Amino acid sequence: MAKKINKRDIIKLLNQWSKDFAIFAPSRESGVAAMAKWDGKDTEFLDWYRNTVVAPKANFLPNMEEMFKFQKDKEGYRIELPPDGEKQLIFGIRPCDARAMKIIDNNFKGLYQDPYYLNKRNSAVLVGLGCVNPGESCFCTSLDISPAESDDVDLMLTDIGNELLVEPISAAGKKLIAKTTGLKAATKNDEAKAKEVKKTAYNKVTRKINAEGIVERLTACFDDQEFWEKVAAKCISCGICTLLCPTCYCFDINDEIFRQQGTRFRSLDSCAFPVYTKMPMENPRAEKWKRVRQKVCHKYSFFPMSFKDIACTGCGRCVRLCPVNWDITQVINSVPAKEAKKRVKEGGRG
Amino acid sequence: MKQETEWQPRLVGFLCRWCSYAGADLAGTSRKKYPPNVRIIKVPCSGRVDPLFILKALRLGFDGVLVSGCHPGDCHYQTGNYRARRRIAVTKSFLEYLGVAPQRIQASWVSASEGGKFADVITEVTEGVKEVGPNKLFSERQGDGAETTKRG
Amino acid sequence: MEQKLRSEARALLEEGKVDWIIGFEPGSLKFTTTPLITKDKNDTERLVINPFITNNLANFLTEIKGRVGIVAKGCESRSIVSLIQDNKVARENLVIFGVPCPGIIDLSKLERLAAKNRDELDEITREKDRVIIKADGKTSEFPVSQALFDHCLACELPTPKEYDILLGEPTPPIANPTAQESIKKLKQLVPEERWAFWAKELSRCVRCYACRNVCPACFCQRCFVEETEPQWVLPAPRWQDNLIFQIIRNIHVAGRCTDCGECERVCPVKIPLRSLTREMYDIVGELFQFKSGMDKDADPLLTHYEEQEAEDFFR
Repeated sequence: MAKKINKRDIIKLLNQWSKDFAIFAPSRESGVAAMAKWDGKDTEFLDWYRNTVVAPKANFLPNMEEMFKFQKDKEGYRIELPPDGEKQLIFGIRPCDARAMKIIDNNFKGLYQDPYYLNKRNSAVLVGLGCVNPGESCFCTSLDISPAESDDVDLMLTDIGNELLVEPISAAGKKLIAKTTGLKAATKNDEAKAKEVKKTAYNKVTRKINAEGIVERLTACFDDQEFWEKVAAKCISCGICTLLCPTCYCFDINDEIFRQQGTRFRSLDSCAFPVYTKMPMENPRAEKWKRVRQKVCHKYSFFPMSFKDIACTGCGRCVRLCPVNWDITQVINSVPAKEAKKRVKEGGRG
Repeated sequence: MKQETEWQPRLVGFLCRWCSYAGADLAGTSRKKYPPNVRIIKVPCSGRVDPLFILKALRLGFDGVLVSGCHPGDCHYQTGNYRARRRIAVTKSFLEYLGVAPQRIQASWVSASEGGKFADVITEVTEGVKEVGPNKLFSERQGDGAETTKRG
Repeated sequence: MEQKLRSEARALLEEGKVDWIIGFEPGSLKFTTTPLITKDKNDTERLVINPFITNNLANFLTEIKGRVGIVAKGCESRSIVSLIQDNKVARENLVIFGVPCPGIIDLSKLERLAAKNRDELDEITREKDRVIIKADGKTSEFPVSQALFDHCLACELPTPKEYDILLGEPTPPIANPTAQESIKKLKQLVPEERWAFWAKELSRCVRCYACRNVCPACFCQRCFVEETEPQWVLPAPRWQDNLIFQIIRNIHVAGRCTDCGECERVCPVKIPLRSLTREMYDIVGELFQFKSGMDKDADPLLTHYEEQEAEDFFR
C-alpha cells in the first residue's frame, strides 16, 4: 500500500527517523557529493542530487577502518575491539548503489562472515530514491537494474513532482513507516504518475553494454595479449575506478605499532596498483595489461562464475571520473563473440 | 629537587659526519654549554638528508629539525651540500606557505673546528622553537576518526 | 590543422619513422577526448585537436618504448623537455607535433556558469574570446577567461618551443591574473588557518594516486608511498599521511612540474591540488630563476647548483 509525502515535509520524516537511526543523506558540504551525516535541516539535495562521487559502500566498508587495538603485556596480548556504532539509515541511495550492496554481500556473508561489515549492514535501513534524470555515463539498464525501481532497498521513493511516492519494499521498510506520521495515502493517480516517471527514467538511459554471454566471451579471449594490451594502453594505473566503484571491496590490512601497542587497520586497496600483487619473489601482474584484464574479468567473468551476479551496476562513476576516459562499456562491447579464435601466448599462461 | 615543569622542545639534528658532527664533538670536548634538547642523527653528508626525513620528524612529533653540513665548497663529497642547500630551501619555503612556522626547520654550516658555532646554533634554534611552541601540526583534529573508527 | 596532423602521423607510421603515435581522439562522453596510443596507421584518422584536449600526453613517454610521434600543447612540450633533461627520453626518438594552445575549456567552470550538469549541455563552441553554450534550446555566452582552466589562464608557454612540426599559428599567453586567486586567498590566511585548510582538504583524499599517475614528472618505478622498509606513510588515508604524500610529491617534482593542471583536474574528490603545485612552481622561479621544461640542454633544478645562492636560509 503506497504512501506519499510532500518534498517540503521530508525534513519531518527524517527528524522522526533520527530518533532511532543515524541519518545519512547526500551532501556537498565536504566539497564533493558524498553520503554524510544529515545536518538536521538540509533537504536541498532533492534538487541537485544525481549520484554521489563516493559510493554509499563507504558507510559499510569505510575507506579506513579500525579493526582492533592491541597491547602487549607480560601475559600476552590484550585486544580491544572498537565500540559498536549506531544504526544507520541511508537516505537517497540510488538503485545502482543499493544493488551494489547486495553484490558485495556475497563476499562478506559467505564462508567467512565479516563482523565489521555485517554489523553495519544488518542494522542499516536503506531508503532508495529513484533517478528521474540518469546521466550520460549511466548504464544500469543493461545490467538488469532499473534507475527508478529497486528490490534491494527497504523503502523506495519516487519523485512525482512536488511529492514523493513512498513504497515499502522489505519487511524492515514496512516496519519503518508503520510508526511514521506525516505520510498520506497515495491515490491511483499518484501511482500512475510514478509508473510513468519510472518508465521515462528507464528510457533515458541511452548508454548500453552487451553483457550477453560475457563470461564465455571473456574466457575465450583471456590469453589474447594483443587485445588486452590495446585495451590497457591508455590506463594510468591509478585507483579511481576501483576505489570509487560501489562493487569493489578489496582491502589491505596494516598494523600501526608503537613500542608495545598498536592498532590494526583495514583500508581500501586497488588491483590497478602495480604493487597490489607484489610478493617477495615475483609480481604476477607487473604488466599493466594483466592488471586491466584482471579488473575487467573479475567484474564480468570470475565474480559471476562464483556468485551469479556481474560485479557491476552501471553507476557510471568509473566512466565519468577516469582521468583518461577509459570506458568499461567500450571495452565490454569490444570483447568479441565466443566464436573468435583463441590466441595463446607465453605457453598458455596469461 | 627542582621539578622541570616548563615545556622543553624536542629537536632532531641531522649532522654530516665529516664536519658538523665533528664540530658537535668539539663543542662537547671544549665543555661549551648548549641546551640538551637536540637528538643527533649522524648522516654521511648533508646531501643525504631527504625532505622525507624532515617531514617524518615533524609527523612523529619533533618540535624542530636542524640540518647541518660542511660549508659550501668544503663538502667532503664535493657537491653534497650544494644539493642539500637547494633541497632545504625548497622544502622550507614550501612548508612555510602551508603554514608551518619557519623556526621549525633550520639549517646551518658548521665545520669540524667550529665547536663554539655549533653551541650557538643549537642555542638559537632551541630558542626559536621555544617561541613557536609544541608541534601540534599532525595531532588529531576535531572530527577526526569520528566516522571511520566508531562504526561497527 | 587536424587533417595535416592525421596525414603527417599516418606518413610517419607508414614510412617507419616512428613506432607509436600518441595523440587525442574523441572520448566516449560529450565534450571529452581520450589519449590515442597506437601502432596502427589507420587509427590516425581519429586524431583530433579541439578545446577539450586536457591530458598531458608526455606522461606516456616514460612507459612506451621505441620512437614516438607525439602531439604536444605548450605544457606538454615543456613536460617533454623536462623528461629530456631528466634523461628519461631521447630527443632523437621523438617527432613532436607542436600545437599552439589557446587554452582548454574547464567543464566544471562551465557547469557552474550554466548551472547545469555537463550531460545536460548540448553544444559547446569556442569563438576566439567567447565560449558559447547551447542547452535546452537556449544559447548563452561567456568570456573565454571564465571558461578556461586556471592553469591555461596562467600558462607561460602556450606555443611549444621544442617541436618538429607546428600545427597552426603561434598564440600568446593569456596571462589572466584571476588564475592566481586561490593561492592569493590562501596567503592571506595566518599559518594556523592555512594548515587547517589543508588538513581539511586532504581528509577527503582516498589515496587513488591519480594525481601522481597522471603527472609526467612522476615516473619512479617504486614511489615512496609504496616503500615498506622504512614505511614513510601508511596506506590508510589519514589526512596527516595524505598531506605528507602531497608535500613530498611536490618537492620531488619541483622544477619538473610545468603547471599542466592535470593533477587538480583528475582528483575525484576535488582537492585544490594546483594551489600546491603552482606555488611550488613559483617558489622555484623566485628562488632559483628556474622555469621547468624551457631548455632541453639545461640541468634539472635539483641536480644543479650555483656557487652562491639560497644562503639566507642557513646560519
